[in-house]
Amino acid sequence: METEKVIEVEHISKSFGQFEAVKDVSFTVSKGDVFGFLGPNGAGKSTTIRCLLSLIKPDSGKISMFGQSLAQQRKGILANIGSIIEKPDFYKYLTAHKNLEIFARISGKHISNKEIDKMLDFVGLLDRSNHKVKGFSHGMKQRLGIAQTLLHNPELIILDEPTTGLDPQGIIEIRNLILRLKNEQHKTILLSSHQLSEIELIANRMVIINQGRSIVEGSVKELLNSEEMVVRFQVEDAPKASEILRERSVMVDLLDQMSFEVLLNKNQIPQINEILVSQQIGVHVIEPKRKLEDYFIKTIQA
Amino acid sequence: MLLKNTYNELLKIVSKPRSYLGFGALTLLIGIILFAMKADGKNIVSMVTASFEQTLVFNGDIVNGNLVAFIILQMLIVHIPLLIALVTGDLISGEAAMGTIRMLASKPITRSQIVLSKFFAGAIYTFLITIWMGFLALIVSQFIFGTGDLIVLNSDGLVIIPEDDVMWRFLLGFCVAFLSLLTVATLSICLSAFAENSIGPIVSTMSIIIVFTIIGTLEVSAFDAIKPYLFTTHMVAWRSYFSDQIPYAQIYFSIFVLVAHIAVLLSITLFKFNKKDITS
Amino acid sequence: MKNLVFLFLLFSMSMYAQKAEDLISKINSKFETIKDYSADAYIKADIPMLKILPNAAVIYFKKKDKFKIESKGITVLPKQGFTELNHFLTKKNDYIAVLGDSLVIRDRKTVLVNIIPNNSGGEMVLAKIWIDVKDFIIMRSQITTKSNGTILIDYSYGDQIKYGLPSEVKFEIDVKKFKIPKSVSGDINSKKKEDPKKKNKTKGTITISLSNYKINTGLKDSIFTEKK
Repeated sequence: METEKVIEVEHISKSFGQFEAVKDVSFTVSKGDVFGFLGPNGAGKSTTIRCLLSLIKPDSGKISMFGQSLAQQRKGILANIGSIIEKPDFYKYLTAHKNLEIFARISGKHISNKEIDKMLDFVGLLDRSNHKVKGFSHGMKQRLGIAQTLLHNPELIILDEPTTGLDPQGIIEIRNLILRLKNEQHKTILLSSHQLSEIELIANRMVIINQGRSIVEGSVKELLNSEEMVVRFQVEDAPKASEILRERSVMVDLLDQMSFEVLLNKNQIPQINEILVSQQIGVHVIEPKRKLEDYFIKTIQA
Repeated sequence: MLLKNTYNELLKIVSKPRSYLGFGALTLLIGIILFAMKADGKNIVSMVTASFEQTLVFNGDIVNGNLVAFIILQMLIVHIPLLIALVTGDLISGEAAMGTIRMLASKPITRSQIVLSKFFAGAIYTFLITIWMGFLALIVSQFIFGTGDLIVLNSDGLVIIPEDDVMWRFLLGFCVAFLSLLTVATLSICLSAFAENSIGPIVSTMSIIIVFTIIGTLEVSAFDAIKPYLFTTHMVAWRSYFSDQIPYAQIYFSIFVLVAHIAVLLSITLFKFNKKDITS
Repeated sequence: MKNLVFLFLLFSMSMYAQKAEDLISKINSKFETIKDYSADAYIKADIPMLKILPNAAVIYFKKKDKFKIESKGITVLPKQGFTELNHFLTKKNDYIAVLGDSLVIRDRKTVLVNIIPNNSGGEMVLAKIWIDVKDFIIMRSQITTKSNGTILIDYSYGDQIKYGLPSEVKFEIDVKKFKIPKSVSGDINSKKKEDPKKKNKTKGTITISLSNYKINTGLKDSIFTEKK
């Protein structure tokens, strides 16, 4: 059975003057996914997310959500999305409750005061309900942002860098909240981050975006496959070692006189070690590196 | 949705401290004028009537509530635009500066509805400011000074309007004054759609008013052709209701120019805001 | 011979002067019968640069020189000439009266009496009054003052002719001094094409119709001190 597609982004591009922020980005998010949107700062994540929310009009390409074109069914689509973009900003001169009232009124659904209180309770802000947002900490604002996102019970939740600026405790809270939304309420969640570890912990699918381009898309499990990995060996004589391994049909990437890398399955590491030792080549270090992490770090460093 | 968001916008205006600045400033200014008129009204008025009073004697209460109201209107019509722009110039750009525009524009409400609800809320605020000014100027000064015939100094001389004939002129005058203030409000909302901070639109609005007013008052024939189409020229149109013979054609033209300005500025705002990429 | 002519001239002048004083004392004697009066007034003003609708008022007068006008709204009266003339004429030592030409005003034969104040420090420079020689009433006066130009006043009489109280007084006043301080007017938009005729008009009139006279009713002084 084919899963229902919630977001389909096809070849969108967006330039601001000379600067190409997004170049031909495509990805698909299915119902029930926690979809990681991974990329370094300035990669074009925010621009893409703003396109999804119709804050920015892409120069070309097509965005469909819930099977409908965003350009044509904007209102209906947005009524089913809850979002926080960059940081949750509120009317500082209004109370937490009044802020939620304002957003509830234009959410396209009828939301009672009781439901607002319930939501404030859910994010642990009920006792601050009548306090002005002016005095809220970043973490409190983030929680209020989550409340605002969930208020109208949307199917899709878009969170742009939700843990940025939070303390470790706050990060854990948000992480758990997202997992609860996924597991208990079966929401589809699009989550952007510049930290692989975060995506890895929460997401089931992901896309990596860099310099405005989507580079790789797939299941997090597959992409972060623990079976196949790049392993770096530090040995006494790397050229000789690589020659021996090539003779045995192992693909070797020689780095320098002391080190080389091979693409391996986890259980092949002892075998390689044994071969080298039997050929009188001293092995100093074996450093397994996951393919994606390596790749991601390389792209960021570039 | 338009109605709901207009209510939202009003709620925001009501909750913003700066919204009360206008009411406070108006109350203070009018209070000062009322005090000055109470303390020294006769002398202030005689500055105007001096050349007449060499030959003539005016009997009756010249300094009455109606005259004070007229003086207040005349003095404040220059300053109220600032008080209004302070709020309306912040309506769109303020949300951009605060970041809330992202939240607003990603809700199931069209951009046009956002602009129109802000325009309506701004119009209601402008209306309330006008009403407050009318209340203080007319009701309070009539309470303090009593009512009476209104002596008005127009460029072609003094006009004395009988008491019974004053109130409807004030009413219509306030309506036209409201229209000119609404033009200012719309201008500042329009500029606000182009800016991402609130100070810019407020300063720009006032600068435009000042420049246009200067062009309007300069006796340079090169400007004569454009003068009738500057909205600032028509900001004093309310005064025409206090002429001996009310120049209705002139007033209708003023109303036309002001309404045309509002329509054009609102269209520009709608166009700009609909096209705008929200990157703040 | 020369002396004779001079003597004759002197004689005739003093005779005329004598006659002028007689006329004035006739006027004064009428005025003396009045202690106070009140009357309903209807004031119409036609003055360039001053637009005012006709207005009803009540005027009060009490000797020597108490005067008050009471109206609902604002009314305009000339600064000089309403009651001052009669009062001035009673002070015989303050002026010289010289007889002038005769003139028919509204079918009444009048003679001109020039009133020249003795004291040059006063406001009045010269007054001309035309007196009806039959009923001894002032039909017209022309008062020239230092600061306010010349005011021409025409009097019509009705029921109260025996008191010398007019039923209509029409003032013609100089208005060329009226100036509009432009900076104060603030009326920047009404730059109407000014009517050239209107602009050159330097005379204005104020017509006061008086009726319902109540004479010598014993008006209290307090009426004149009350505000309104």
